[in-house]
Amino acid sequence: MNLKDTRRALLEFWNEFRKDTSGLIGLGILALFVLVVIFEPVILPWKDVNRKWRNIDYWIDNSPAAPPAWTNLFAAEKKAVTTQLRAPGKAESDMDGGVGKILTLTFPYRFTADKAPLDLIFRATITGDVPMTFSVQRPDGTGIELVSHFEPGLANQGIRVTLNNEANATTFAFVKDYVSEADLSSLNSGSLEPVTLIFAKGEPTMASKPMALKGDYKLIVKAMLIDPATAVIADPHFVVSGAVSGVLGTDDMKRDIFSGLVAGIKWALLIGLMTSAISVFVGVLYGITSAYYGGVVDSAMQFIYQIVNSMPLLPVLIVVSAIFKPSIWFIVLVMVLFFWTGSVMTVRSMALQIKEETYVEAARALGAKNSRIIFRHMMPILIPYSFASMALSVPSAIVYESTVSLLGLGDATIVTWGQILHDAMAGGAVLNGVWWWIIPPGLSIAITGMTFAFLGFAMDKILHPKLQTR
Amino acid sequence: MEDHTDIILRVENLKKHFEPHQSIAQAIAGQKKRKLVRAVDGVSFEIRRGEIFGLIGESGSGKTTAGKLVMKLIPQTSGRMFFDGEDVTSLGKAELIAYRRKVQMIFQDPYASMNPRFKIRDVLEEPLIIHKIKASRDEREAMIVQALTEVKMTPPQDFMGRWPHMLSGGQRQRVSTARTLILNPKMLVADEPVSMIDLSTRAEILHMMKDVQRDLGLTYLYITHDLSTTRYFTDRIAVMYLGRIVEMGRADDIIDHPLHPYTRALIDAVPEPESGKVHVVKELPISGEIPSPAHIPPGCRFHTRCPYAKPECSSLPEPELEDVGMGHFHACRRYKEL
Repeated sequence: MNLKDTRRALLEFWNEFRKDTSGLIGLGILALFVLVVIFEPVILPWKDVNRKWRNIDYWIDNSPAAPPAWTNLFAAEKKAVTTQLRAPGKAESDMDGGVGKILTLTFPYRFTADKAPLDLIFRATITGDVPMTFSVQRPDGTGIELVSHFEPGLANQGIRVTLNNEANATTFAFVKDYVSEADLSSLNSGSLEPVTLIFAKGEPTMASKPMALKGDYKLIVKAMLIDPATAVIADPHFVVSGAVSGVLGTDDMKRDIFSGLVAGIKWALLIGLMTSAISVFVGVLYGITSAYYGGVVDSAMQFIYQIVNSMPLLPVLIVVSAIFKPSIWFIVLVMVLFFWTGSVMTVRSMALQIKEETYVEAARALGAKNSRIIFRHMMPILIPYSFASMALSVPSAIVYESTVSLLGLGDATIVTWGQILHDAMAGGAVLNGVWWWIIPPGLSIAITGMTFAFLGFAMDKILHPKLQTR
Repeated sequence: MEDHTDIILRVENLKKHFEPHQSIAQAIAGQKKRKLVRAVDGVSFEIRRGEIFGLIGESGSGKTTAGKLVMKLIPQTSGRMFFDGEDVTSLGKAELIAYRRKVQMIFQDPYASMNPRFKIRDVLEEPLIIHKIKASRDEREAMIVQALTEVKMTPPQDFMGRWPHMLSGGQRQRVSTARTLILNPKMLVADEPVSMIDLSTRAEILHMMKDVQRDLGLTYLYITHDLSTTRYFTDRIAVMYLGRIVEMGRADDIIDHPLHPYTRALIDAVPEPESGKVHVVKELPISGEIPSPAHIPPGCRFHTRCPYAKPECSSLPEPELEDVGMGHFHACRRYKEL
């Protein structure tokens, strides 16, 4: 077969394939998956998800178990969405009687929800001695001096100021002027929620029944650059940690589920496709060889098959994963070592029939070698029969991988759908009603399985000309 | 005997005995092996270049096995074979491939002899690929077109893209023939090529095969149980019974003057579509089924069914083929009395 022949054969295949609607749907979904994998760096909201999925610090600014942002559409009371405030307005002024300077950063924030964010977090990377004060300008004209913060002697180190934890006393002082006597008695600076009150209307019941004060807020950071020559404030930004977050919400470890899901696509495809493709190919070849040569070869191969087939995969997988450092390639390899038996018996019994077919004898009479008979005459007939088991072993490979992950033996360097699901199970997502933690990865596994089933059936129809509806 | 160069295939005392399957448990238990199945039990014949040689017998007579032995699809138990003056009894891999190029086979079942996943083009291209006939796709295409034209599948382009299941039995058998012709073989083994084809197209296929034979100077080994096509199609025939040839000679000779009682019975069994005889069910002179080749009767192997059998037929050793002149051989001890 030269290149031209191959192209022609592929073109013929495509002409048949595109007549099959379900096959096209399968191909479409698969193409979508592949596109997402290719454009993953663009799509990911959290760029470092692949490296830092299990790094608690990376996710710390999110709110835990927050529903997806679009749930606001169906909610009577809109919740603030998690956002980041970057690109502040900057102003510099000289300090009285010194070399230092005062840098004023103003972050505008338009608040339109009914429920205040859970937290306001300031982050920056700082070099040098930079004392800072934080204040807020509310749309009703009032302002609150919230907190001051100073960590001396920083050298390109990150700082993190959470207003909900640190602005209690100042907020209490602000609220005291408004609230009624009755409310005041039950209020103390330790228990109040500063961020809720910052976004509440100034009225006597603002502590017990805070009403959202909508409008444009200004979060102001005043940084004192004691030595302007060396002091640096890099990447200053506020994280508004809302009660709803992202495309698919967060889990109870504050991780963005959409990022995890997108990062999991490539692993799902890789684990599923590699495991099933290699093991089906090996299994079909094994079954055909066993049937075709018969006799002693058949007996020996069946003996080996019985041994492998009777060994349970999971304990072996656990033991070898515990002994060797488990990487995803290793897990795929071990799964292949066990999955190939799936198609052997069916293939062997069918191959026993096919090898007695006249056309096999005819091929031999034409002078065909054993390899040609196996690869050209028997494989193409038997491979499509294995597409069903191939399609079925795609999800089961994914589930096996996640089972191993559950036991702490999975590849800890990657994110897989199975791992997300198992985290959800461990986190009691069902009991707590955190459906956005379960449904997306579950549905993804189901859709992947369906995609491969569609593709398998479509190919089956083409490669089985007798099934064609004439 | 005629000039040896005129003989394309000579088979000497060819035997094929199948051993019945014995499991390991049986072997350990010390069970004796069951009797050998003597499917072909000492067959000798010669085929001349350019003739159509018929091998005739009822099912179980070993004629298909003999064909497979000639095709080297199964190894013989004993005996020798010479093709084109060369000893082809046992062949190495390369020699076998060379032999396959010269001797080709048309199978009985046109529905099963083609891989259902191969288009007609692929079916015909396969021998070219197997024998590494280096040619561009266009050249190969031209060879395919030519082979299809030879078997009168016209226009060839219409058929090349079709699947085998889209063709009729007759068309398939034409494609089978084309597949063998594409390698320019010297001899074709045709194993009941028309027995599974509609009566209406049988004659056409045989015509086509005969035309091809004449045009290309081929030799046929035509295996059949159907005497009615034999006289029309073959030059010489050999009648097989239970793994042995019982009568051999020119087709006309044998059909007009059969010497062996088995041949007579076969010829008598052919129904004649003549008016007045249509409803006459012929009374066959022989009865019963052909015995199992695992239990071949002693003496003349036909004596159990022969209407003329005498005690000496079973007690004396098996009669050998005997020449009665004109290249007419038979293996009946009592033919003169009959």
